[in-house]
Amino acid sequence: MRSLLILLLSLSLSFAQLKVVAVYPWIGELVKEIGKDKVKLHVIAKPTEDFHFVVPRPSHIAKLRDADLLIINGASLEIGFLPPLIQQSNNPKIQLGREGFLDLSSFVNLIEKPLSVSRAMGDVHPEGNPHYSLDPHNIPILARAIKDKMCQLDQKNCTFYTSNLEDFLKRWSQKLKEWDEGFSKLKGTKVIQYHKTYDYLFVRYGIEKAGTLEPLPGIPPTAKHLEELINRSKGVKFVVYEIFREPKPAKRVAEAIGAKAIVLPHDVGVEGVRDLFGLFDEILMRLSR
Amino acid sequence: MKKLTLLLGIFSLSFAQESLEELKRQLEEQRKIIKELEKKIEALEKAQKGQEEKKAERPLPADRSLQLRAKYEERLKAYQISPFRQTAFLPDIAFIVDTSLVGRNRKDEEYKELEIPELFHTHKEGGHAGLNEKRGFNLNYGELYLYAPVDPYFDLYATIPFSEEGSKLEEAYAVTRGLPFGFQLKVGKFRSSFGRLNAQHPHAWDFATQPLINKVFLGEDGLVEKGIGINWLAPTPFYLLFGAEVLQGENEQSFNYKGFKIDNFEIEDRSVPNLYVGYVKTSFDIGNLSLLTGFSYAQGKHREAEDHEGLDAKTKLYGFDLTARYQIDSIRYISLQGEYMYRDQKGKKYEFNNSQLETKGITKKQGGFYLQLVGRINKQWRVGIQYNLINKNTVKEDGTKEDLPKNLPAYYAMVEYGPTEFSRIRLQFGENRAFYKDGVRKPVKEVILQFNFAIGAHGAHPF
Repeated sequence: MRSLLILLLSLSLSFAQLKVVAVYPWIGELVKEIGKDKVKLHVIAKPTEDFHFVVPRPSHIAKLRDADLLIINGASLEIGFLPPLIQQSNNPKIQLGREGFLDLSSFVNLIEKPLSVSRAMGDVHPEGNPHYSLDPHNIPILARAIKDKMCQLDQKNCTFYTSNLEDFLKRWSQKLKEWDEGFSKLKGTKVIQYHKTYDYLFVRYGIEKAGTLEPLPGIPPTAKHLEELINRSKGVKFVVYEIFREPKPAKRVAEAIGAKAIVLPHDVGVEGVRDLFGLFDEILMRLSR
Repeated sequence: MKKLTLLLGIFSLSFAQESLEELKRQLEEQRKIIKELEKKIEALEKAQKGQEEKKAERPLPADRSLQLRAKYEERLKAYQISPFRQTAFLPDIAFIVDTSLVGRNRKDEEYKELEIPELFHTHKEGGHAGLNEKRGFNLNYGELYLYAPVDPYFDLYATIPFSEEGSKLEEAYAVTRGLPFGFQLKVGKFRSSFGRLNAQHPHAWDFATQPLINKVFLGEDGLVEKGIGINWLAPTPFYLLFGAEVLQGENEQSFNYKGFKIDNFEIEDRSVPNLYVGYVKTSFDIGNLSLLTGFSYAQGKHREAEDHEGLDAKTKLYGFDLTARYQIDSIRYISLQGEYMYRDQKGKKYEFNNSQLETKGITKKQGGFYLQLVGRINKQWRVGIQYNLINKNTVKEDGTKEDLPKNLPAYYAMVEYGPTEFSRIRLQFGENRAFYKDGVRKPVKEVILQFNFAIGAHGAHPF
């Protein structure tokens, strides 16, 4: 009898929580910072997965069914796996245009928005570069948007969310000073990356983009392109790539031009990164070595 | 009078002088102000330039509504030019082309005549084009795909494959987007969710050809029917889906409601709806392994006739499917997929022998499976093998068992190169040992080089 009571209690407790599904771990981190124990969180993408090609496992559908809020990166990053999951979730709350759907890309300025798009240009997103989460100055705006949305859906906990946000923002702005100082020392450093993943960070701090290993976005490196890259690259310090990429092309180019090939974390949960603070700490540390 | 005019003249002069001085003073003041303003403007311009430069180098996060306001003028003009423009409401449109080069050890005429005893024969009338039908070059289909939300309550999908001869409305259905409690309703003409592969479009298949069991039990086009479907996603922590469909039943292989006439004997159409489908699907993750499995059941009446023979039966079709996909890393995976189908038919067989109608009781118990292993080696290459077997083919007429082959296999291997998600080149080879002609097995050896291209807004495929 007692166990039944406990079960019922825990069930009702779990009902009281706001159920949030975040597509990527970094979104989940923001939700955790703001919602703490008032939120039940499910994150779809593993940090080890290529953010474009997350496996649309049916198990995610079960989590989306009961979600009060779905938070996405947007800018077409999830176009290859998320639409069927939303469609199969049978959950009216999180459908596009409904209250429980939040596209974070609409709150920041996207860079590299192409004037025209064609698939002949590779995997180009018409909205612009979708990897905006790697600019630490974007995080406060995104955190605020998430908080506002959570307040909208769960008004009785709004003061709790607000105070958590303020606390987070305070800690974040302290770290921002540290990062601004650290990254600005890297101004002018030439870096080749696998994909245009770190553009927001590089543009923010004047780190020089010296090309990508991919000949076109989404097209794996070809021998010809790497050869060209090697021939035209001078004074490049790093060749960086994400954890889920094939390391061989990066190492090859780095060796040929006398640069260092390094893995840069792109999200929380890889390369010893435990939270959003750790993400930029780790990136800074690796680029400062 | 003279005095007065003089006085007036003096007055006016002094006034004029005063106002002139006043004017000069004002002008001087204004000049000063203008100079100050100019300075201010210059400073502002400088500041703005600096900001713009900053903007150019930094993606300053800002409210999008500000940008919109900045474009106010532009927008005002745009609306005046086309106030009723609806281009924003264009549905997603995609066009998919599938073409192939086929090598086969049987001539086209001979291949067309081949049959699988008591399971499959090419229908003389209709004679719709299957995939990779002819030796040499084939244009299998060019498929138009449309999708858009109708309103907040429905999504609409349509698939219109074109062949060289014409087109047909293969699928056109609406799906609810706002039903509560985990329900979803589907109405129109659609691919039934029976089993695993049937609901998928041919371009999403892992092989160029259809598995044998799908071909013999559901037909070359698959189970595509007019009707209504409902599914319910259970509120469980794991994926559990129940579904039911009520369909017209126009499937030429197992569920056909239409009557027939052989010689002077006629059987009327069955009452419709004629086909009922039920299924349950569930999925679990064990680490990097995702399992998806399901049971399906379909029941309906079936009538078909050819030459002097006719069949009037009740069909029960059972399906079991299992997909196990192991994700090695973000790109590479190994996927094992299999389906088993079992068909139980009971009814009457009508046959004219020398203008004499004979009626026999007939029972058919037939079953088989396919099992395929597909691996993605890297972002652009996939390989796979598929084994098909029909291992049960028992047909009894008035209790007497017919002598039929019951070991009907087919096997294929494929290697696939996909430069991007939108193009695919696949080489498939294999042998089908299920075909017979006049009681003699006629193995069909095939090599297929398949090209598949998709343009436009084509949505992602589910798991």
